[in-house]
Amino acid sequence: MTLWFIRGIRRGVVTTRYPARPDASAIDLPTPPAFRPRELTRQVADGVVAVCPSSALRRDGDVLVYDVGACTACGRCAAVAPRAVTSSGEFELAATGRSVLIKRIPIGEEAP
Amino acid sequence: MTTEPVTAEELRETIARQFGRSLHIRTLDTGSCAVCEQEIRLLAAPHYDLHRLGFFFTPAPRHADLLLVTGPMIRAFEVAARKTYDAMPGPRVVVATGACALGGVYPEDPFTNGNAGAVLPVDVWIPGCPPSPLALLHGLGVAVGRLAEKVRDRSFIAPLYPERAVGDS
Repeated sequence: MTLWFIRGIRRGVVTTRYPARPDASAIDLPTPPAFRPRELTRQVADGVVAVCPSSALRRDGDVLVYDVGACTACGRCAAVAPRAVTSSGEFELAATGRSVLIKRIPIGEEAP
Repeated sequence: MTTEPVTAEELRETIARQFGRSLHIRTLDTGSCAVCEQEIRLLAAPHYDLHRLGFFFTPAPRHADLLLVTGPMIRAFEVAARKTYDAMPGPRVVVATGACALGGVYPEDPFTNGNAGAVLPVDVWIPGCPPSPLALLHGLGVAVGRLAEKVRDRSFIAPLYPERAVGDS
């Protein structure tokens, strides 16, 4: 009984250590897209905007305006333009201001 | 109970000082599809174990320090949302959770207010549809000032094919 108890305490812990240490299940999460500006043209950007179901994307001249807060990480933009859109792998997205979540992606430029 | 408005920075300092390891959360469903609620329920499950961090759920807004709002804030719920917020003692934090509450899914719908910020003074926004329990934990940490906000520095611009450069050896 005592041995079982010690073994259970040692090996039976399922709780994540998340804020202190990274969690292994984080790689399986659907994450919002990241964009490759060099692969984006106006046509590709318009195609990506057209398939977005949640008004997270719009094109403003030569800038793709991407609202991370409105994004549902559905992956339709990545399916339409797999060369220009990739998964960002970021899930720590909480922000203290709504405008912080609105990102501006330059179209047709070299990544910094 | 104080009702005078304070800035989010002051609020976070007060929360960190007064509610260091005992912060009570009231969840408010303003017309969500219940997937956000499922993720919030998972926070109390053994894997995520919210209580080890000093967060607790409470059914009464009068006992709550943090209001976790989900859903697009439908018009029918506007009065109840205001009453819930007014019933909470200060200092209080409002966290909008999920793409609906951030105005992503129903921004123009006539039956909703579009987002939670239209009715309540939101302090922290947690994106995601639904936000995963890990994202919610990070958002709660940001809300009480224990974790740093990271999304401000992220550009969501991907480097051009980094995997090709790595795999060329």
